[in-house]
Amino acid sequence: MKHPLFLGLVVSCLLAPVGRSADNDGKHFFETKIRPVLVDKCYSCHSVKARDAKKLKGQLYLDSAAGIAAGGESGAVLVKGKSKESLLMKALRFDGMEMPPSGKLPETVIDDFAKWIDMGAPDPRTGDAVEKPKREISIDEGKKWWAFQPLRPVPPAYTKTIDQYIHEAQKAKGLTANKPAGREKLIRRVYFDLIGLPPSEEQVAAFVRDPSPTAFEKVVDELLASPGYGERWGRHWLDVARFAESGGYEFDGFRPGAYHYRDWVIRALNADMPYTQFVRMQLAGDVLEPDDIEGAAATGFLVAGPYPGQITAKTVERIRYDQLDDMLMTIGGSMLGLTLGCVRCHEHKYDPIPQQDYYALAAALAKTVHGPRTLDLDPTVTRQALTKHAADHAPLVATLKAFAAKDLPARFDAWRKTELAKQPDTPRWQSLEPVTFVADRAFLKELPTGILAFDGTTSPAQRRQRGQRPVGTDEHYRLTFHTHQKNLTSLRLDTLTEKSLPQRGPGLNPDGGFQLAEVIVTARPLHPQANEAAMVVKLKPVSAAFADEGQPLANAVDGKPGTVWMVRATAKKDNAAIFDFERPILGFANGTELFVELKFREMGLGRLRVSVSTEPAPATWAGDTAPQHVAELRAIAAAHGAKMPSNVLESLARWLAPFDAETATVFHAVRDHAAAAPRPKLVEVYTTINGGQDVFFLRRGEVDAKNGKAEPGIVQVLHRGPPKKLDVATDARVALADWMTDVDYGAGPLLARVIANRIWQHHFGDGLVGTPNDFGVQGEKPTHPELLEHLAAELVRGGWKLKALHKTILLSAAYRQSHEITEANRKLDPDNLYLWHFKPRRLEAETIRDSLLAIGGNLDAKLYGPSVLDNSTRRSVYLRVKRSELIPIMTLFDAPEPTQSIGERVVTTVPTQALALMNSPFVRQQAEKFAARINPTKSVDVDAAIDRGYRAAYGRAPTEGERTKMRTFIDQQRTATGGATPAATHAAIVEFCHVLFCLNEFVYVD
Amino acid sequence: MFNYNSAGGLALPHRRRFLQEAGLGFGSVALASLLHGDTAAAAPVDQLAQKPPHFPGKVKSIIWLFMTGGPSQVDTWDYKPELQKRDGQPLAGSDPKTGFFTTSGKCLKSPFKWQQHGQSGSWVPEIFPHLSKHVDKMCFLHSMYLKQNNHAPAAIELMCGTNRPGLPALGSWMVYGLGTQNQNLPAYVVLHDTRPRGDDQIWSSGFLPKSYQALALDARRKEAIDNLARDGKHTDAQQRSQLDLIRQLNQEHADVRPTQADLAARINSYELAYRMQMAAPEALDLTRESKKTHELYGLNTLACSTFARQCLLARRLVERGVRFVQIFAGKGTSTDGSVNDVPWDCHTELDTNHRSCGLHTDQPAAALLADLQNRGLLDSTLVIWGGEFGRTSDSQGAKGRDHNPNGFTIWLAGAGVKGGLHYGATDDFGYKATQNKVHVNDLHATLLHLLGLDHTKLTARFNGRDFRLTDVGGEVLKPILS
Repeated sequence: MKHPLFLGLVVSCLLAPVGRSADNDGKHFFETKIRPVLVDKCYSCHSVKARDAKKLKGQLYLDSAAGIAAGGESGAVLVKGKSKESLLMKALRFDGMEMPPSGKLPETVIDDFAKWIDMGAPDPRTGDAVEKPKREISIDEGKKWWAFQPLRPVPPAYTKTIDQYIHEAQKAKGLTANKPAGREKLIRRVYFDLIGLPPSEEQVAAFVRDPSPTAFEKVVDELLASPGYGERWGRHWLDVARFAESGGYEFDGFRPGAYHYRDWVIRALNADMPYTQFVRMQLAGDVLEPDDIEGAAATGFLVAGPYPGQITAKTVERIRYDQLDDMLMTIGGSMLGLTLGCVRCHEHKYDPIPQQDYYALAAALAKTVHGPRTLDLDPTVTRQALTKHAADHAPLVATLKAFAAKDLPARFDAWRKTELAKQPDTPRWQSLEPVTFVADRAFLKELPTGILAFDGTTSPAQRRQRGQRPVGTDEHYRLTFHTHQKNLTSLRLDTLTEKSLPQRGPGLNPDGGFQLAEVIVTARPLHPQANEAAMVVKLKPVSAAFADEGQPLANAVDGKPGTVWMVRATAKKDNAAIFDFERPILGFANGTELFVELKFREMGLGRLRVSVSTEPAPATWAGDTAPQHVAELRAIAAAHGAKMPSNVLESLARWLAPFDAETATVFHAVRDHAAAAPRPKLVEVYTTINGGQDVFFLRRGEVDAKNGKAEPGIVQVLHRGPPKKLDVATDARVALADWMTDVDYGAGPLLARVIANRIWQHHFGDGLVGTPNDFGVQGEKPTHPELLEHLAAELVRGGWKLKALHKTILLSAAYRQSHEITEANRKLDPDNLYLWHFKPRRLEAETIRDSLLAIGGNLDAKLYGPSVLDNSTRRSVYLRVKRSELIPIMTLFDAPEPTQSIGERVVTTVPTQALALMNSPFVRQQAEKFAARINPTKSVDVDAAIDRGYRAAYGRAPTEGERTKMRTFIDQQRTATGGATPAATHAAIVEFCHVLFCLNEFVYVD
Repeated sequence: MFNYNSAGGLALPHRRRFLQEAGLGFGSVALASLLHGDTAAAAPVDQLAQKPPHFPGKVKSIIWLFMTGGPSQVDTWDYKPELQKRDGQPLAGSDPKTGFFTTSGKCLKSPFKWQQHGQSGSWVPEIFPHLSKHVDKMCFLHSMYLKQNNHAPAAIELMCGTNRPGLPALGSWMVYGLGTQNQNLPAYVVLHDTRPRGDDQIWSSGFLPKSYQALALDARRKEAIDNLARDGKHTDAQQRSQLDLIRQLNQEHADVRPTQADLAARINSYELAYRMQMAAPEALDLTRESKKTHELYGLNTLACSTFARQCLLARRLVERGVRFVQIFAGKGTSTDGSVNDVPWDCHTELDTNHRSCGLHTDQPAAALLADLQNRGLLDSTLVIWGGEFGRTSDSQGAKGRDHNPNGFTIWLAGAGVKGGLHYGATDDFGYKATQNKVHVNDLHATLLHLLGLDHTKLTARFNGRDFRLTDVGGEVLKPILS
């Protein structure tokens, strides 16, 4: 029943008009085999008659030869003589589209059609091709739309104020300006507006008392400087960024690192980051600041959308294009005020945006994939700590050097004379003491007897993309050891289990196994002499205690990173491997450094130890193992006698330390301090990771209808100057970000208009353009076009600083005017399009909850960090946003579904909101806390409590009428519960507080 | 250059007014319709006010018995003798990647005994002994199909018309189109047990105002409604005096802000909340039903008590004018190996799974049909039975079936549809829909038609586009209409 619309990229006819075929057989074939089927199965939707009955589908006429020749929305119906290339055959064969929709025709009939097309599609029918309405997108014409034009520069003589624009427009309509709002109203308005919290009684009183002409400006400056500004305005941006912390769909997997984006937005706004940088970072922060959490957190913007947790083979590709679509729609709606989603399947119906542009943008995002990364939460702190550590380390090293030069020769000499002979013989295996040990994905620490142990992760397993290996997820250990011995013959690697490891190890993969792809040993001179050079030592596999079937130890030294020594089925027990050096390592004159690299697939080893042997081909792990120290001391004594070069002396400290307390003290001071080097504070960030594939044009948005590779590009109608391809040599997203923020040639003018409008919108309730996410033809036109142009130009001129724009707007008379109504104005402009009064607005969900907490006196002002549930008393911007479990009080008061960019929230008034305010335990609790604030001594002074209650909740004193009503109410309530006792009075004051929360004035701000 | 003449039947009032007055809630004064283009109205728009349909519709309310997890068509309503004959033989044209796992490519016959029932001679398996008595009321759509092959995306597609989250579900569109018939109760109610996979994305109001959102009631909490109960310490008199004061002061506040229509709605909302405090518990109170009714539904039968309660609640709600009740069937007995949030998901043991799901749903669903009919409610109510997709005709493992969105059956019973009709068909093995295929957009177009709404005219603008429940598709299934 579903008719795939025959829409294509190129709506043109590939066929010449069908000429007269002289082939009578062909005509006969058509009349007997084809025409009856067309009449029976196709005409009902594809004929002039169908059109007249408004049933024409896909703009396709099959009731005349000319109609067939002209094709439909998907282009040519058939290619004469080539049934295999004909769309008609695909449709009849139900290959990509299904015609007729009532059911597949019998195979014999389908074969007839193929035959007919191969005959050249003879068709004796007459009748004209029906002219089709066709919309050609003209980019040049499109550029004339107001929003797509360059910013009109503000001439110096053209320095009107906001109020001049407003007043001129009012004057033209016969409207009169309103008087200014009272100070109590104004401060309440601007507090909610800028920080989303009510002013305290003291703040109100101070402002009302302040005689200075700049009193209001001071308040504005204070609020803009307060962290509450970022929390309040960050929330507005999170709406357009469809921010959530989970994947939605099947299992709605939580993204523990997603909150960093929310924090980044708040911080960026508080820091008054220029808006262009704000945009650039969100589009390409991961490339612009590759090692900084700021960059990764910012591109949380791209990946904040929903993404299925379970992907099947059938849906993987479609889901990938859905993901790109989500990013594109969000970039379009939030930053450019463009609706791009529909262009996936067809040219934009209203705006001059061809499909080419959609796929060019998609191609710019091609290398953008969702995933977690682990990054340093505060690189500056880490850098400072490292600098300090290095500074502290230097004197310890100096002490060691001095000790080595001055004291060590005598101490070694003494030891050699009395102790060396008592030492045991060199065993078959000597365990090596690691000197340095670094890994890509893990921290390692040294345990006694040369064991290296896993000591924390540096980077999480990145999700494996289907069908390709991710970059940078495989572990790589780099270990160095020192020796002064000669003729090393073999290397041994022990892999050890331990209960703290996954499945007891020895590997760090979840199954306890490991896959060792390559072992590479390089011998280099420890203190190079002339003619000494590093050399890679070739290894021969001897034996491993355990290896999975078919994945032997030999794979680890075959030079092929694709093959591994696999220990998975054979995991969970201690294991060891022996390699012979193809030729013994002879050793360098002043010592040898062995550089051992272990390259794994996925994670590395939880515990390991490296040993060497000087026996010729030991070939067995049987026999003694001892630390290398004695053998080193022997070797040094043998090589140098009593007179040693200074650098050998420094090495000597390491080997003598176990036998000499003073040497140990000095040497361990250096070693232990090095081991205690500060580490970055690592956190998981949900952001963009490596991956992605080429993007193809899709016919009708269908992944099985690819139509050539798309190259990164831009939205043509917003571009000025020569045609633009994005420079992929740097990075396609960086290039896109550059273009988007380019005022002269790129999308900069629209970018400025859209954000200036958003700022106006949140100050006044409505934007100058009433559709903040749609500046296209379907959107509303600005009510004050020149004012919007002025604001956008001012923003650009001021270095894209948002706080300056806020201030300009807030100091205008338009913002400071009263909410009050004059009948004459109301008649002329009932919708207040011309801003003749300040329209009262209901608070958003977050502000309602935050106000309840603030007035209850228990708002926790802590900034940033992982999200919390609504049993917390922190500001609502920190509440968890899990797509399938949105927090009820938020959705109840119209917090949006975080699935698509939301430019404006709809305000509803429903009884369930009233029920929540009347009956919810949370509101009740806040009323009790509020009562305790205004009646702390549980006195019976009702009038004082009423006065304080009004001032705290509404920022004003009650009127006489209100005071009387409230007094009567409190009397009624306490009479019901026990009379004028302090307890009953306090209970009645709780009821009074509860009533204050329920009144319109609590949630509506004038 | 541009086509200003939008094809959609958009007739929203001026957007600013729409936003400002959106969801004024119940009982405001003027009833200007959102749908019918009364753009001149300056009075408040009550979004939930009852609105005239585009044309007279036969259905006033819908109850959708959502068989969560995806029942197998060839083991429920789509009898395939050929499949029974060819058990274990290769299934021609099978695609092992149709579902979530991989299937064997070998036919798996239905393990159930089948019999013909009713005047229509419809085949029904033994797992539906009660429903089999009502086949002549049922209009079977055997050729349903959709694109998604996993639970949440498919359920979203089935309820919202496309697989992308964030769009309104059928129920929200219904209320948006028709308003409510009872201001004291929500117009759109979801009854669930363990929340189905996909959760409230399946009953989302999407970008529509929250006044069109569903009230979801959890069987595990015995359908408790948040904030409905007055604080325990309060008497009615106390609350009344509180509400009177609130009304008085809110009225004074509203009087000097005459352009703010929502302030008046807010005053009303307290009165409605107060009434809802009483009306909702009454509607949900099953003790008001007779013992005989309890027995009819199986309320005291352990195997089906939860679904029985939900079905009876659905009847009570529909009786009181609720527009759309959707029940997401939970899990029956505890030892059948099925998964709580997708009970019909028979990947391993089709036989035990479907028997257990049948036991849980059969009697209550049949009772609902009988009860609605006895009360004359079936003339204005449509009952729908169906899940998010069907199952493969070939086996997964030895005795299971994988997901299959290419052909499955749902049935409609009640107002506006022909009973005993079998519309559309799958192939001989029940594997794919072949005849008169019904896409979810077609189903929605038909349901809206039954409600008196033209699916091409029921539009709402969001981010520059006029959205429809039926996206860009949808055809009314005329042959099934009575």
